[in-house]
Amino acid sequence: MIHKFIERPVLLGAHRSLVGIETSPVAPERQPKPALVILNTGIMHRIGHHRMFVSISRRLAQEGHATLRFDFSGIGDSPPRTDAMSPNDSALADIKEVVDWLNRERGAKGIILVGLCSGADHAMAYASTDRRVLGLILMDPTVPTTTRYYVHYVARRLVKLNNWISVLTGRSRLLRIMAEQVWWLVRSSTRTHQRVSSDLQHRAWLEKVHADCMRLSTQMLVVFSGDSVRQTYREQLIEAFPNVSFHNRLRVEHFKQSDHTFSLTNDRAKLFEVIVGWLKSMNKAPEPFVSSDSVRSELPAPAQTGVSVLR
Amino acid sequence: MNPFYFGSTARRLFGLYEPASTVETPLRGAVLCYPWGHEYLCAHRAMRQLTTRLTSAGFHTLRFDYFGSGDSGGDMTDTDLTGWECDAALAVDEIQEIVGHAKITLIGLRLGAVIAARLAAQRNDIIDKLVLWDPVISGKEYLQQIGAADRDSMPIDADGNMELYGFPLTEIMIRDISSIQPECLISDSMRRVLTLVTERLPSHERFAQLGSRSELHSIEFMSDVRPWIEDTTNTGHLPIGALQRIVDWLT
Repeated sequence: MIHKFIERPVLLGAHRSLVGIETSPVAPERQPKPALVILNTGIMHRIGHHRMFVSISRRLAQEGHATLRFDFSGIGDSPPRTDAMSPNDSALADIKEVVDWLNRERGAKGIILVGLCSGADHAMAYASTDRRVLGLILMDPTVPTTTRYYVHYVARRLVKLNNWISVLTGRSRLLRIMAEQVWWLVRSSTRTHQRVSSDLQHRAWLEKVHADCMRLSTQMLVVFSGDSVRQTYREQLIEAFPNVSFHNRLRVEHFKQSDHTFSLTNDRAKLFEVIVGWLKSMNKAPEPFVSSDSVRSELPAPAQTGVSVLR
Repeated sequence: MNPFYFGSTARRLFGLYEPASTVETPLRGAVLCYPWGHEYLCAHRAMRQLTTRLTSAGFHTLRFDYFGSGDSGGDMTDTDLTGWECDAALAVDEIQEIVGHAKITLIGLRLGAVIAARLAAQRNDIIDKLVLWDPVISGKEYLQQIGAADRDSMPIDADGNMELYGFPLTEIMIRDISSIQPECLISDSMRRVLTLVTERLPSHERFAQLGSRSELHSIEFMSDVRPWIEDTTNTGHLPIGALQRIVDWLT
């Protein structure tokens, strides 16, 4: 039997406690391509929903890319860390250990992080701190809401008969949310201020993370599914961060018919083709690694040249 | 912990061996058989927790992925129960080789329990104990439970397979699953068997009758989380009671 890829189990990290699977092309590429690191989605272990991370790893190996899918500490087969890190800090520390390992042990010439949902958010957060990450493939990452989002959201609900029935019978979720908002505003309580303040802080943090990625020249492929509840239109990501210059480094795809985990085989096949096409089109050649301590603020911000928004 | 591949070049299987954390005599080994499809994904966490408890109780433990599932080789359409039974047999051989001459326990959840029961009936020279955790007792009942009984209401992939929560269900698998009956899980040649049921189904009546013929077969019913099902109310919950009962019964 002829295999089109090679798979090896690995134990990674400072304590060799992170369980991962490397998938590599059978023949090394003359011009090394960036390696992809696939992150957990929530508490789902490394194979991903519907085994999609296994399938995409094998597909990408045929395109000459090595991939590594691994379990964060405390997820899947990797035991929890013994230090007192928060889950978020623990995930970011794990990613750093994996990127260091790929750099040191495999001589990887650049990294692309891949994540769905929480995995996308972890990928983005980490990429904003490490210039070795050349690209991001993000599926349904967190995007702040915009005014246009609410207009879309309400308009969509208005055309559905069921929603009118819910309004008339007093079971409307939208009405309940609006009533809660009004109640909070009227009460002008500390809780309201805390909530608004927390939302603004999160939005500001997300904007900073995106801005830092752009300053590091990170290429981004962002794929939204039809189930992305906080995202309703193609340009929302760009409009949510008016102070971020995405240049030509952002490509947004919208899979309106897909659910959040791309559960249909056909949807996954389309997703894989988009990913493969994007990797081929990455206009930045892989660069040798520099120290992970590289300071992003030293990088000049390039002039804005536009954003590719497809479909 | 030692993740590794075993099996043949054409049928590579992923295994994860975890040694016992206490020294027990005689040596004891356990092989865990996962369920299928979406149930496998949801139950992975519970099976990992069971492994941790088993290693603490002195069991050398091997979890493995069937061909066409998890990190093993093959596509998701390369699946059939006979093939999976062969995979489980290889896993038993593997842990025997790792640990030496040890008494082996097989633990199967849902469809994995069917695989474990079939193998235990053939390999009673090696397999000392068998745990059937919410086993699939009636294939037809199982197909109804997972929504595969009504083909017209399910999405169909390009090859004509039903898609169940993102997993293709091939005609071969439907045929294999349909053939599962209570008698498949009971054999006179088996040694000690615990059937642990947390979700009571109509098929359990017949199964309990069959099981009661043997003093070596105990059937226990208990309420607990069903780890093979995930919804908004139970994500991440673990069936602590069921896990502990399995370990207690084995030790």
